[in-house]
Amino acid sequence: MADYQDFLKIMGDKIKSKIEKPQRLYFEVDNEHILEVADYLFNTLGCRLSTATAKETYQGIEVLYHFSHDKTGIYFCPRVVMTDKKNPRMNSITPIVRGAEWIEREMSEMLGITFEGHPKPEPLLTRENKEVMKVPLRKWRWQ
Amino acid sequence: MNKNVIPIGPYHPLLEEAEYFTLVVDGETVVDIELDIGYMHRGHEFISESKTFTQSIYLVERICGICSTSHPFAFVQAVEDVDNIEIPLRARYIRTLIGELERIHSHLLWLGLAGHFIGYDTVWMWAWKWREPVLNMFEIISGNRNHYGMFRIGGVAKDVDPSKVGKLIEILDEIEKKIEMIAKAAKDDPVLKSRLKGVGVLTKKDAIDFCAVGPTARASGVPIDVRKDEPKAAYDLVDFNIIVTENGDVYDKLVVRLLETFESIKICKQCLEKLKTTNGGIRNNVKEISAGEGIGRYEAPRGEVFHYVQTDGTNRPVRHKVRAPSYVNIPTFKASCKGISIADALITLASVDPCYCCTERSIKIRDKNFNLLKFDLLKLSLEKTEQIKRQMK
Repeated sequence: MADYQDFLKIMGDKIKSKIEKPQRLYFEVDNEHILEVADYLFNTLGCRLSTATAKETYQGIEVLYHFSHDKTGIYFCPRVVMTDKKNPRMNSITPIVRGAEWIEREMSEMLGITFEGHPKPEPLLTRENKEVMKVPLRKWRWQ
Repeated sequence: MNKNVIPIGPYHPLLEEAEYFTLVVDGETVVDIELDIGYMHRGHEFISESKTFTQSIYLVERICGICSTSHPFAFVQAVEDVDNIEIPLRARYIRTLIGELERIHSHLLWLGLAGHFIGYDTVWMWAWKWREPVLNMFEIISGNRNHYGMFRIGGVAKDVDPSKVGKLIEILDEIEKKIEMIAKAAKDDPVLKSRLKGVGVLTKKDAIDFCAVGPTARASGVPIDVRKDEPKAAYDLVDFNIIVTENGDVYDKLVVRLLETFESIKICKQCLEKLKTTNGGIRNNVKEISAGEGIGRYEAPRGEVFHYVQTDGTNRPVRHKVRAPSYVNIPTFKASCKGISIADALITLASVDPCYCCTERSIKIRDKNFNLLKFDLLKLSLEKTEQIKRQMK
């Protein structure tokens, strides 16, 4: 398979579940391990944070970071699942990866996630639009 | 020490779209900058969840008017990545051709705007004059000057007419000479050099920290290019170089874009030559997309466009994430604008070729205030197509 086997050996104990595809590795980590995983991917492996995707699933609110390893073209996608849908909270990786500042602010306003340790926890896109509904990307928004 | 604040925007002659910068200045020097976006947000990601995959191609094409092929390019690759769908060889060449022609016209557009921003309108007029034949090439290939509608999941929508390939190569030869002339004049111009050298420097460390992409990162010495890092379409079958410079100032960003234009012309010519000899279909029939996740990306003129699609086996995405290159390039102003003078701030803000529609993923359609309505525009477009056809005979 691809070259992400070394990564799996080193970080294997922190990975709860994984999906392997050619050039793509999606894996789930706990909230307390995300900082360590992000630090390893960004500072040790030299990955670049492309962006992150937040979505609502049946299990809870999910945040999926996309780290691109540009030398090999591999994507490492650590996933954090928050089961508390009413008040989802997770650690912010912005203190480690400065490029995550805007996307974490966007995810926060679109799905109502609180990123602990974010240097500027303000809305990014809907700041001027007061009439926009809160958390617009949440399913079951009528409840 | 007094510190004053200078607002730029939300509506300003420098900015084609609405956004708001606050420069904190100490005398003539910028000491800090605050960025505010969100004036163009329309919620494309939400709309996309209610569209089928084919409808979404048209939707994402309208995120941005300038790089209108980059978004569908990345989106179809994301959907194809779910099931690892292969596309025919001829379609791979056509995709590459469209993508590279777009890079030529986008870089010429930026060159013209950059000249205009520093008050050098000769550059603007020359660059835009020779951007026009590129748009005509698009019209010959796809029937449209912009929003080409060429991409489909599994291939492309239209074939390139073999009888027109010779004419297309002729146009490329002609504009190559003209762009060479503009590039030589711009690179050696003492006014441009003294105006742009050493202005708005983005260091390599800052470019990596802010996760910058595209010409912004390459001008700072970060050798990243999706076309080389993860070659899709026909990028592994054509010969080209990526342009990397070290200084990170506005002049280097100009040089990177100018030299990239020649690489794009080189790729386009190779694709057209291959299209003469490559036979076969242009589209595989994709009947269904299974449940899963896919990532697609493409090196747009401004940098990496990223699309993520999650599917559940139906014909609509469950979640569709779009990230345009300006979204990661605009925050680099925090590093590159510090310590420069107010007069240099404007060209530094323009140097990443910011595209706010992309950043906030939105479209705006207004027809009430225009005299030209839909059918008038359609009529004009058809007349122009007829005119080009007559010229080609």
